[in-house]
Amino acid sequence: MAGKRKKSDDGDEDGSKSSRKSFVVDGDDDNKQKKNGSKGQQVLPSTIKNKEKRSAVHAKLKQQKKLEKRKRAKTRDAAEKQALELGEEPPPKMIPRTIENTRELDETVCKPDDEELFAGNDADEFCSVLKHERNPKILITTCRFNSTRGPAFISELLTVIPNAHYFKRGTYDLKKIVEYGRTKDFTSLIVVHTNRREPDALLVIGLPDGPTAHFKLSKLVLRKDIKNHGNPTSHEPELVLSNFTTRLGHRIGRLIQSLFPQSPNFRGRRVVTFHNQRDFIFFRHHRYIFESKETKQIDSKGKKGKDTKEENGSQEKMVARLQVCVSLECGPRFTLKLISLQHGTFDTKSGEYEWVHKAEMDTSRRRFFL
Amino acid sequence: MPRTTKVECPGCPPIRALTFDVLGLVKVVEARSKQGGVPKVVERWGDPDSSRCVLAASINDRKSDPLLAVARKSGVVEVLSPLTGDLRVSITNSCHPDLQPEDDTIVGLHIFKKQILESSYRSCTLLTCTTKGHASMGSVEVLKSPHDSISSDSPTTWNVCAAGNILCSKVDGNENYAIFGGKGVELNVWDLDTCTKIWNAKSPAKNSLGIFSPTWFTSATFLSNDDHRKVVAGTNNHQVRLYDISSQRRPVMSMDFRESPIKAVTEDLDGNTIYIGTGSGDLAAFDMRTGKLLGCFVGKCSGSIRSIARHPELPVLASCGLDSYLRFWDVTSRQLLSAVFLKQHLSNVVFDSNFNDEGPYSDYLTLSHGNVRTELASTAEDLPSNKARDEDDTLDEDMEESLPVKRKKASKECNPSKKLKPKKRSKKLEGKDFDAS
Repeated sequence: MAGKRKKSDDGDEDGSKSSRKSFVVDGDDDNKQKKNGSKGQQVLPSTIKNKEKRSAVHAKLKQQKKLEKRKRAKTRDAAEKQALELGEEPPPKMIPRTIENTRELDETVCKPDDEELFAGNDADEFCSVLKHERNPKILITTCRFNSTRGPAFISELLTVIPNAHYFKRGTYDLKKIVEYGRTKDFTSLIVVHTNRREPDALLVIGLPDGPTAHFKLSKLVLRKDIKNHGNPTSHEPELVLSNFTTRLGHRIGRLIQSLFPQSPNFRGRRVVTFHNQRDFIFFRHHRYIFESKETKQIDSKGKKGKDTKEENGSQEKMVARLQVCVSLECGPRFTLKLISLQHGTFDTKSGEYEWVHKAEMDTSRRRFFL
Repeated sequence: MPRTTKVECPGCPPIRALTFDVLGLVKVVEARSKQGGVPKVVERWGDPDSSRCVLAASINDRKSDPLLAVARKSGVVEVLSPLTGDLRVSITNSCHPDLQPEDDTIVGLHIFKKQILESSYRSCTLLTCTTKGHASMGSVEVLKSPHDSISSDSPTTWNVCAAGNILCSKVDGNENYAIFGGKGVELNVWDLDTCTKIWNAKSPAKNSLGIFSPTWFTSATFLSNDDHRKVVAGTNNHQVRLYDISSQRRPVMSMDFRESPIKAVTEDLDGNTIYIGTGSGDLAAFDMRTGKLLGCFVGKCSGSIRSIARHPELPVLASCGLDSYLRFWDVTSRQLLSAVFLKQHLSNVVFDSNFNDEGPYSDYLTLSHGNVRTELASTAEDLPSNKARDEDDTLDEDMEESLPVKRKKASKECNPSKKLKPKKRSKKLEGKDFDAS
């Protein structure tokens, strides 16, 4: 293409500027590029071989794009403003394209009218806990070596999860501990694994025969490191599980749900959130309170964005009465990522996996499993 | 640039597969060439109930009146029609009334394709085996309604093992022998005519470090359809072992595969390839002549594989397991043909080999027990008989081809019996010919 253009250019030159023989070549090239830019014919910067030239063209293109974008935003804003002034419906806001909303189509996403799903739920291992037949009783233990942040994290976990008991690991095998938990009527077993004095993995085992979930734990922030943190009360917390959509996510959600008592004490105004986003499960622990405040609606709107989902709902209700919900973060803050879900209790040698993360599954950024 | 489109799987040839899951549902998956070979769930039989969880299943896919046997967790063995899903016979295992069915679950089930006893055409013979090692074999009259079925005689029962748990059992192609193995139970071969144990495996020697790995067989199969002497077993400590009954009690060959226990082993039609599935969702093919890994089946298989089925005619393999997907694979290229999400943890898959893509089969389905059905069956029988003959020929060829290989192996393995072996084999072959004629 470039060759062709050159030819025609040459032809032009021959026709018009045949007398001017000693013309500076660089200048000529510049002209050509300008022509291309203005016409919008794409000379891809990557096809230019000269580096200086290439970067110049690229910078120019970028600048142009930026200006265009700014212009577009301006016209959009103007249109919106005009619509507001005229009292019309403003043009619909455009939805940005994100990795989540362009997620790869997944057939395992649970549908609300799926009777097989409910039948499966009724038959699974958590059913007895979630139907109030058994009270959740949690055993927390650690890996063999455990110091500094590990015990601190566990002491905070003990405040988050009601009816949790910490047992020293000692030199017991995990299988022995599972056995012990079974005989003592525990419903779940949590093992906090630390590496270099930093908790880095969480093993949640359903008892007596529930599945074993292995999570990677990262971004742990303890209570005392959170600015303006609150102190939790001993009330049963409310539980928020958001975005667990697929069949596997559903199962993980139920596993987490079975750790907490099923009847929250709303007087405690204490909420524990597990929020799943792009297969990362974010844990937060808040206390909230409804305060009547003489505030304008716009203010509360701004605040709403920051809070978690459930509070949003409650807040919207309260806004009408000119009340706001103030939340106070307390307890640890951490992120979990599922590594594997094993059928049955902990067994590395002869265990069957329901789901294992494998490298070959990571061929797309838009594929999520939870 | 991230890929925004999905990789399309090539479609399947026309197949029909039945899957069984933990809620006791039977799902029929069909792929038709009209729909581009995309398999779909066409039927679902039964109501979800965890006590009816299917533990084992076996199909007798003869041309006329095929039967499907299903063992439930509650200790009931049901015989269904694989075409309509109608319950034909339901048998409760009542030989050990003192044992709860939950404690002594059925692990092995086989419905016999040949008629063992000189009984009426409508009877079927079942072999069941429980975890505690109670094996029983008996035939049942299958009549039209489930209520007037009578088990013709009291089943022959025997004890396979004194201690340990049976985890796998399999009946060979000619249905004369069965193998049993499990946790703490060495592999043993039984003659089904006389109900006697004819061979018992011996655990392999300690390894170079002097460590003895406890016996724990998780799956086993016969290597080829017409030879009961070669047995392949998968163990819990991720080993695939080849036993030769005629040569020795210790494994002839044993290979390690990855890190997780072997959960399913299935033989190929050619008599030397083996497909194995593991507890972490790896599916691979092994050549048992050389003991070499032919290749793995890659396709985002994330859950333990519980069952593998090889289509008796087409080059298609089906696998299913805890990730609730039924996957179809091409045997030769080891590519994923397609996957169907079936919502529950699957326990078993079987192929219905008589499925025909074009009309007749569906007609066959709709026509109930009338005359037309038998006619159709007879016409259907005409065609495959040719095919069967062809297959026989190829089988013979296969055998001839495989003979020298066997001889070689034999010479490698045990030198003293070098001279004896070929003679023996030839004798056996003669015997076979005699039988056939």
